[in-house]
Order: sequence, then structure tokens, then C-alpha cells
Amino acid sequence: MSSASRRLVLAHFWVAFVAFVLALVLGEWQMFVRSPLAQWVNNPEHYYRSVTAHGTVMAYVLPTLVAMGFGYAICELALKQALIGLRWAWLGFWLVIVGTVMAAATVAIGHASVLYTFYPPMIASPFYYFGVVLVVVGSWIWVALMAINLRAWKRANPGATVPLAMYGNVAGAYLWAWTSLGAAIEVLVLILPASLGLTDTINAGLARVFFSWTLHAIVYFWLMPAYIAFYTIVPRAIGSRLYSDTMGRVAFALFLVFSMPIGIHHLFADPQVGAGFKFVHAAMTALVSVPTFLTVFTIVASVEIVARLRGGKGAVGWVRALPWDNPMMLTLAFSFILLGFGGAGGLINMSYQLDETVHNTQWITGHFHLIFGGAIVIMYIALAYDLWPELTGGGPLHAGLMKLQLWLWFVGMLVLTLPWHLVGLLGMPRRMAYYDYTDPAIAPQAWTVIASTIGGAMLVVSGVLFLVVLARGHARAPGAAGARPYTFSRPVHEGLRPPAVLNGHGLWVAMMIALTVVNYGWPIAQLAALKTASVPVIPIGTR
Amino acid sequence: MMSDHDSPYTWSNAGFRRSVTWLAVVFVACVLVGFVWLPMAQPDFSARGLWASICKAAGVPGNWGDPGEALRTGGQSTKVVLDRPMARAGAADAIGRGATLALNCTMCHGAQGMSLADAPNLSGQYPEVVVKQLLDYRDGRRTSSIMQAIARGLSDAQIDDLAAYYASLPKARIAPTTYEDPLPKLVRTGDPLRNIAPCISCHGSVDQKLGAPWLEGMPRRYLIAQLNDFASGTRRNDSLAQMRNMVRLMKPEEIAEVAGFYARRGSPGEGH
Repeated sequence: MSSASRRLVLAHFWVAFVAFVLALVLGEWQMFVRSPLAQWVNNPEHYYRSVTAHGTVMAYVLPTLVAMGFGYAICELALKQALIGLRWAWLGFWLVIVGTVMAAATVAIGHASVLYTFYPPMIASPFYYFGVVLVVVGSWIWVALMAINLRAWKRANPGATVPLAMYGNVAGAYLWAWTSLGAAIEVLVLILPASLGLTDTINAGLARVFFSWTLHAIVYFWLMPAYIAFYTIVPRAIGSRLYSDTMGRVAFALFLVFSMPIGIHHLFADPQVGAGFKFVHAAMTALVSVPTFLTVFTIVASVEIVARLRGGKGAVGWVRALPWDNPMMLTLAFSFILLGFGGAGGLINMSYQLDETVHNTQWITGHFHLIFGGAIVIMYIALAYDLWPELTGGGPLHAGLMKLQLWLWFVGMLVLTLPWHLVGLLGMPRRMAYYDYTDPAIAPQAWTVIASTIGGAMLVVSGVLFLVVLARGHARAPGAAGARPYTFSRPVHEGLRPPAVLNGHGLWVAMMIALTVVNYGWPIAQLAALKTASVPVIPIGTR
Repeated sequence: MMSDHDSPYTWSNAGFRRSVTWLAVVFVACVLVGFVWLPMAQPDFSARGLWASICKAAGVPGNWGDPGEALRTGGQSTKVVLDRPMARAGAADAIGRGATLALNCTMCHGAQGMSLADAPNLSGQYPEVVVKQLLDYRDGRRTSSIMQAIARGLSDAQIDDLAAYYASLPKARIAPTTYEDPLPKLVRTGDPLRNIAPCISCHGSVDQKLGAPWLEGMPRRYLIAQLNDFASGTRRNDSLAQMRNMVRLMKPEEIAEVAGFYARRGSPGEGH
């Protein structure tokens, strides 16, 4: 990579990871103050301020910056050409920074405790929404640059197969461009007019439908860097080969098509949306498990190759022969276990009827922390470790510290989230600022909150350790690195050409848009036309 | 010979053809199950025939069921939008004008805003609460033969002045909580499983939400009457139905308990 691009990627990663650790501390504070270990802060407003900041950083700032930085790195490393539009990329970066600071400051002074999902008719200060819009606009510059760089490469290499890393990267960019549109419309058309005082009512049902447009596929935008790492980094890092390059393309294409038009499963309890649409969205949510299972199968097959080469025997006995001392192997196993728990819970949430039993309980909080905080973020950590020597020019990172950090993250995440699942089944509501443990109905659940607080503390220690490992690697004198060029995984059968539809994104983007139109068109039109759907706004931070 | 490597966007390309066909099949199957098959299993869905059940599954039923007397006749619950500036303390001249106007109110609400007649205390009440209730009376969104008649004669400016005056008076003293009189469960923690929020999360102590009145020392009978009116839907000027949704699931003895608790928390002066 050129040194200019290295600086760009490092800037994205450093800001992302420092913000991530600060938000981790906020999350742990929330867990602590509502546990029996602490005196209650006596002001729920402070609690919701913290929840808003934690969610906004974790959901928008961290994954957006990681996807952007990783995307720029892939452009140079996979396409082997200089990044086109470096100055535009810096502009996008600064837009994200300015937006983050603007939103964070508004949250900190208590004018935006609406949580990251906005929750109309609650209305925050317009500066919060402007901040979020700037973050999204900055990321749209990245989307455009990814498309432009791929086009330039295709022109220079007519008929060549797009490298898998870039194929997934651009799929993620297109997915983000289309899915962020829902929240953008919600903010620009419905929320900002109310926040600026131009109207005093808001169509809350319509706003929720628009947010659901973004809310589910955003998870798959978060997930894309992790999946790119599964396919293109993990097999190489453990000395194996990728079992099937085409399967990776199929997974990315299916995510594009099916992760987008399914967000109404977040509105199962919403009486304004018809039951028929809820069923269609639930059924298509189930289809997202297909690319997930394909990926698990392909990656397990890929690691089996190296286990067999190392002398692994038997139907499952080869697992012992895997290179377990390799941090990437460890990360992959952790990520799959967390994905397994989170995915199993997710099957409950996506079922229209089963969801009734866990709706709005701590079960949901447990689910998305396992999937995002667990399976996805641990892969962000791993891909940062893997790219770090290339980015900083330093030598390999401290393996012992890395493994300690990964173990802490894995165990901490399980200790945090498994109690949430348990009490969620017992009916503990989510988004509660405090619990009264003197109540005999709640007292038996007090220990679970202490357990989650301990899990959260492990995550904070792990997060700080993560920064320490990166800082040590960065501080080392440049030039210590070996001259080995950075590579992505090689497939078992090199040189095979995938079907033409899997070498481009056009068909899948068209399908994504078509499914969105049929799955969302009617609910949006119906709610927009419903005159009685508007309710008075509730300004936040008033007294 | 596979035609996978043809131009990807023509029907002759096998990948393109299969992908589009399968997506269409999956979508049509989902729609048939969600809009036709599953609704047919529900008697209340299928009672009016296939087309009506499809409309219902799409979220547009022919009618939404019997909305009840209050909803049929009541219209919108309130037109007042609570806004930040309404909560500001009034200027000295507004308080002075309000004090003069308030002479009309003393018969029921007390000379110093502390009622002897089971009308609500207004002393120290938040200004936006007084403004909202008077505007609702004036619009007919809250009913009372006396208050509607009085409110109809008030201008917006006069309502603001009255609110400024009452907000400037001292609040009823809070009697200290004793071991003999702990906070009732609903006041302190609500009942999450019935979706009843704790009183103190809006009415002061933990948080004070815009538009939620100061309750300490309010006459017990007034509080019980208002809670019952919210429960039955007779009173419905709470925007977004916050109070109606809280009270509907409360038992009569719970209503009496929380009302009694807040009534006891006032000053023992003025005849109580």
C-alpha cells in the first residue's frame, strides 16, 4: 500500500477503535448503575443519555469507520492499483468526524436522549440529527469511491474476475447506500421538520417503518467486513486455502438480496402494519440464514484442509489438529460460537408468534450484543490485527497479548449476554434505567445483573488491551516489518471463473431494489396516506 | 454447454434466469401464505370473505372494529403541543396580572391556590400544566361545566399570566416519608409486566416530565375522580393516552392507594 493510503486507513481505524473503547466504558457504566452493586444515580435522564451515546457510537461510528477503512485497504491490496479519490476519502472521513462530534456533544448536554433508533414522537435537538446525517453522508462518499475504483479496475482488466475481497466490499457498499436511505428519509422528511419547529406533529408509524428499512440491513452492513475476513483473511492467516471462492460470492449476493427488505420484523408489535407484510418479512428473514449457513460450511471446510494436512484424523477428530495457537484460528472459533448462540436466539425473534414472548425484553439486548458485539466486532478486532503490520510497517503484534485480549472478549461477551437471555425469558424489560431489587418479584434476578456487570468489566479490560496491542505495534520503528507483501486467501482451485452473474453486482442490486419496492411500497404508501397517524411530538431535554 | 459466461443480464444466461425465477417463486409463495393461507385459518379474518381478509392482512381493514363511545365521539384528544418555552418562569408583570385574574378562581382553588373544595391545588403548579388544562377546557377537550365556561372567556395571554402566577406560589410542603407510610409499589416501581410506569418517573422525584402535574397534597377525591375518568375514557385530554394506558389496568384499590398516598403528602395546613 502507498503511505498516503496507509495514513488514511490508520486514521479511520484509530478513531473507530478509540470511540469504541469509550463507548464500551459507557455500556459498562450503564450495567453497573442498574446492578445491585451501585447506588442508583437518581436521574434516569443520565442513564438514557449514556444509552444514546453508547448506541450511536457502536451502531453508526464504529462499523462505518471500520467498513470505510477496510474498504480503502481492500481497494489497494486486492485490486493492486492506487486508490482513486484520496482527497475525497479524506473529506468523507472528516464529515464522519464532524458529525460524530456534533451528535456526541448534543447527547452529552442532554438534548438528544432519544436512543440511537430515534424513537419518534420523541424529538431531539436538530444538531443530533445533523450529526448523524453528516456521518451517513461521509459514508456515501466512500460508497461512490468503492464503485469508481472497481470500475477503473474493470476497465484496466477487461473480462478478469473481480477479487473476492473487493466483490464483498462493493456488495457491502451498495447494501449500505440503499439501506441508509430509509433512515435518511425518516430524518430529512419527518424528524427534522419537527425538530426545527416547522411542525408540531409527526407520523410516528411511518417514521418507524422507514427506520425499519435501515434497521435490519444495517446489521448486514456491519457484518460485511467480518464476512470478507472469514473468506479472504482467515484461510490465509492459518495457512490454509479457501474451500470455494464462488460460495463467497453467492453469500455476498444473497445478503444483498435478502438482508434488505425484511426490516418489518422489527415492527411485529406495531398495530399499524398489516399481518400479511409481517409474515412476508418474517419468511424472508429466515432466508438470510441461507448465506450464513453457506459461509459456516465453507469456512469450516476451509479450516479442515489445514487440519488434515497437519495430520488430523476422523470425522471430528481433525478439530484437535487445527492451529489453535494462531490468534486468527482462535478468533474464528469464538466468532462462530457467538454467531451460533446469537443466531439461535435470532430464530426466535424473527418468528412472528415466538417473538411475542421476548418482545422488548432483555433477550433482544442479549441477541444483538452476541451477533454484533460478539461475532462481528471480534472479527473487526482480528482484521485490524491482521492488517496492522501492513498499515504501520511494524513487525508482527504480541501474540500472547492478542490471545489474552480475544479470550477476555469471548468469555466477557458470554458472561454479559447469557444472563440477559435468561431474564428476558422471565420478562425483564429492556431499556430500563433501574430495577428495584427490594421488590420480591425482582430480587431473585438481581444476581444476573451482577453477572452481566462482571462480563461487561471483562469487555472493558479486553477493549483497553486491544488498544494497547495496536499502540505497541504502531510505536515500533517503521521498517521492522519483513518485506512480505500482504495477500488474501487463495482458493483451493485457482483460476476457476465464477458464473458471470457472480462477477458483477447489477443483478443483485436490481433484485434488492425490486424486493424493497414490493415489500415496503404498500406499507409506506398506506401509512403516508393515513391522516390520523400523526401524533404530537415530545421534545427531549425540556426541563 | 453452460451459458453461465454469457452477458449476465440476458434471459439466455442460466444464472440470471434461475436467480430471477427463484426470487419470483419465493416471493409469490410468501405472499400467498401470508395474505391468503394464514388469514383463512383465522375466523375473525375470513368472516367477510377472501378479499376482505387480504385487505386486513395488508393493514387496511374495512373497519377497525367498534372503537367505543369515547373514541367515536371524542375526536382528537388534545390540540396542545407541549413545548419548552411553556415551562419557563413568568416575568414579574405577568405574575401580577395573573394574581388579579386569579381572584376569580379563589372560590374553588383557595385564596393561595390551596383548595378547600376538592378542586385541585394550583399553588406552585408547573406553568405548562395550567396552560395545557385551560386550553383543553377552552377547546372542549376536557370537560367540566364550570371550568369550560370560565376558560372560554380567557385569552391566550390571560392563560399564560394565570399560569405564571400560580407557578410563582410555593408548592405544598412535602411531608417526609415515614416507615409507617412507605411509597406504594405502583408509585415507586410501577408494574412493568402490566406496562404501568411508576408515578415518580413523570410526576416528580425520579423525573419530572413536561406537562405532568405536581401531585403532592392534591385532594384525594379529586385524584380518584380523575383516575377513574382516565380509566373509563371520560377524560381523554392526555396526549398519546399516557394516563389512560397507565390507569386502565389499575384495580380500584390501587387507584385509592396511590391517590391516598399523594393526598397525604401535602401540607396539613388549610384545613386538611
